[in-house]
Amino acid sequence: MMKRLQSRRVIIMTALTSLLCSLSALAADTLIENARLVTGTSQGILTGASVLVRDGRIVSLAAQGRPTETATDAEVIDAAGAYVTAGFFDSSNVIGLLEMGGGISNRDYVLRETEMGAGFQVSLGLNRFSSLIPMMRVQGVTRALVRPDAGSGNIAGQSAIVGLGGKPGMLMVDNNAVFVDLTENASKFSGGSRAKAITDLLDALDEAALYSKHTAAYQAGNLRELRQSERDLKALLPIIRGVKPLAVSMDRAADIETVLRQLDPYKLQIVLIGGREAWQVAAMLAERQVPVVINPMDNLPSSFDQLGARLDNAALLVKAGVMVAFMTEDVFTETRSLTQGAGVAVAHGLAWQDGLNAVTINPAIIWGIDKQYGALAPGRVADLLVWDGDPLEVTSRPAKIMIDGEWVSIQTRQTLLRDRYSDLNRTGLPFGYQ
Amino acid sequence: MIYSGIFEPLRVVTGLALLLSSLLAFAAAPFDKNPFPSTYAPPDSPDTAIIGATILTGDGAQLAPGYVVIRGGRITAMGEGSLPAAEKDISRVIDGNGRWLTPGIIDVHSHLGNYAAPDYAATSDGNEATAPVTAQVWTEHSVWPQDPQFPLALAGGVTTLQILPGSANLIGGRSVVLKNVSSRTVQGMKFPDAPYGLKMACGENPKRVYGEKGGPATRMGNVAGYRAAWIKAAAYKEKWEKYDSEMIAFNAAKTKKSRKQDEAEAKAPTAPERDLEMDTLRGVLDGEILVHNHCYRADEMAQMIDVSKEFGYQITSFQHAVESYKIADLLAENGICSAMWADWTRFKLESFDGIDENIALVDRAKACAIVHSDSPWGIQRLNQEAAKAMAAGKRMGMAISGAHAMQWLTLNAARSLGIDDQTGSVSVNKMADLVLWSGDPFSVYSRPEKVMIDGVLLLDEATGLKPVTDFELGLRVKTL
Repeated sequence: MMKRLQSRRVIIMTALTSLLCSLSALAADTLIENARLVTGTSQGILTGASVLVRDGRIVSLAAQGRPTETATDAEVIDAAGAYVTAGFFDSSNVIGLLEMGGGISNRDYVLRETEMGAGFQVSLGLNRFSSLIPMMRVQGVTRALVRPDAGSGNIAGQSAIVGLGGKPGMLMVDNNAVFVDLTENASKFSGGSRAKAITDLLDALDEAALYSKHTAAYQAGNLRELRQSERDLKALLPIIRGVKPLAVSMDRAADIETVLRQLDPYKLQIVLIGGREAWQVAAMLAERQVPVVINPMDNLPSSFDQLGARLDNAALLVKAGVMVAFMTEDVFTETRSLTQGAGVAVAHGLAWQDGLNAVTINPAIIWGIDKQYGALAPGRVADLLVWDGDPLEVTSRPAKIMIDGEWVSIQTRQTLLRDRYSDLNRTGLPFGYQ
Repeated sequence: MIYSGIFEPLRVVTGLALLLSSLLAFAAAPFDKNPFPSTYAPPDSPDTAIIGATILTGDGAQLAPGYVVIRGGRITAMGEGSLPAAEKDISRVIDGNGRWLTPGIIDVHSHLGNYAAPDYAATSDGNEATAPVTAQVWTEHSVWPQDPQFPLALAGGVTTLQILPGSANLIGGRSVVLKNVSSRTVQGMKFPDAPYGLKMACGENPKRVYGEKGGPATRMGNVAGYRAAWIKAAAYKEKWEKYDSEMIAFNAAKTKKSRKQDEAEAKAPTAPERDLEMDTLRGVLDGEILVHNHCYRADEMAQMIDVSKEFGYQITSFQHAVESYKIADLLAENGICSAMWADWTRFKLESFDGIDENIALVDRAKACAIVHSDSPWGIQRLNQEAAKAMAAGKRMGMAISGAHAMQWLTLNAARSLGIDDQTGSVSVNKMADLVLWSGDPFSVYSRPEKVMIDGVLLLDEATGLKPVTDFELGLRVKTL
């Protein structure tokens, strides 16, 4: 009952939000014409095409000329042959959960020395006014999955999907998946052995099943004591029911094999995160239809779990029939650029369209929002990037960015600094007045 | 050519120091200044011509197409167009049609070998974080030549790299310049006759590391620490110079009064006690060792310039130099290079003001701009980092050609390491350190197809030729 009430409230909230959104977007149509549209659908790439946007959504595409329903007062953007793509999606990041590296700001995505597990909800720590958001946006990222990191247990908590438009809010889908860390690094939470870490996960899932079956008894205090809190148990319910994905971080090929086999009886939706040696077990991943989220620029044998890391991981996985999406992992690492990562994967054997899919439609499918995002097609949310070159080239940037049907600024704190110091020979008042 | 004036003061100082040391050579050489000499000797390679490729020479020119002739590991001829008839007898011809040829990439800031992969405490050999001034350490003694990251850097076209101590310390120790070649020993990688560098560090790192270990705990403590070290070094230098001049006088006297040799020897001056830490700092004051100063903020760089003037040494480069764009004029005036990332920012507070246009703005001010990595990932893609920096500059309206930007990865880097007479451009008499790219090196899709060091082909995609470190044997099925 409680639950039903909650979900009704969510529906009302959502309806209100979309009403507000459509009110603010009552402006005329926007038409982007003469574009090289990378549709991400069976339509492929359309040259000299146009896309019509109304009320935050794509209304129609025209392979040639303008769609007939274009309003006469439509805002018309001549793309002059430029690439137009769907907004990019970073499949694992921590945007909005920290402001600065080097221990300066909180890292609100990681717990230290607490008992909390799956119940940890990173969305509550989000800062939608973070000045990092415009910085990520100007690189073409319009949506991202923000994840918890394991800091006090293997079960890190629940991730969320966010939008980087700033309006109407950052949070799109709360608690969309539960993240679990089974890498070598996280075995310290299970007595130092990855073997124990796996049984801990199975125990946690079994507890959730027990709780699900005997909720009333649990709440009446008639069930044996469970290791997890009720909040943690509740967070695992959609996981054991196969409604939401369990995102499991693993790199070592043998671990991937073991964990997938152990989880077979549970009938879960599994997403493999990291997977630096995933190419070695590509057939198994393909057979189980387990998608893999990889950092396409990390080919270092940084640990004995990652000896097989290589730059054609994505190419080999796709060749074997595995769905691949890309992540930058965080905003400060050497692999911070999603487009560069996709380009590097393409330089190492991945087809260009597969590289683009790994940052658009594939993450939308993996995280369950592909009806609305990830491709250019009528009815979808208008997240559009008008590029100044090949979208996967390091020299390219979006010249114009539309999120939820609205153009967003391409100014950042960095461009303000650039402008302040663009002329060192200026005279008059000091730079602080510039 | 733009920077030709900048390095002159350094050259003069170095030249004077060399002259002085040769004058003193007949004085009893008190110690060996090069106890770990390079043993690098490239294997024989066939004389080779590379034809048909678009050449970015590394000193600002583009030849489309051009040719390069390599004999005995050195570039003996190069130019625009096709191979001259006189060179047609050459034993090996590489067809570079549709390809791009550049000098080997030089990374002036790397920790390959001293922070090797795999990344464990056992391989963490970059920071002697036991005292704020450790000028006595030489980072070559930390470098593991079997670090599997070296071949990955080679696959990114890196032929020369400077390994620096970390930035925990105010003065971290000596750097070493290496050729990116497979070798059983570090000596076998050492770039012949490259000057040593000294790593210094500003800002957050030293005060963080020593804040609770006796200091420095503040930036003012940092500066006091540098100055105290240089005061000591100046005194040490004076002591040795006094000894050197006494030796000269003594030797002169000895020659004149050879009959009274015994008596003269009795009065022989005593050499001061040697101090490894001070040897290195004195090397800086003598202009033999180049200062590479880790420094992010503009205001701190300006203060480090004043410290250098107070003690009479030249800062060769600021490393990381995230805020160089704010003082590009000052850096140009003082002939100091900035070694920079294309787009790193906000990973720590002193990097907060990093901007994508930093490299282009420094370059526009006619200060020496270098793209560096400080990263085992970044070193594999320095060409892409330069491409990002070039694109950022273009987006703000600057005209920057690929030929010009290539200098940030090659000749400017070589100059800051004092090896620009040997490598860093496709020029006659230089080492044949070359990369043949599958396409425009400023494209993410282009990869080095062939990499050559001293004319020796060390990586070749066509044949699968590449180095495999001992560490990788039996572990990595395929390394790329």
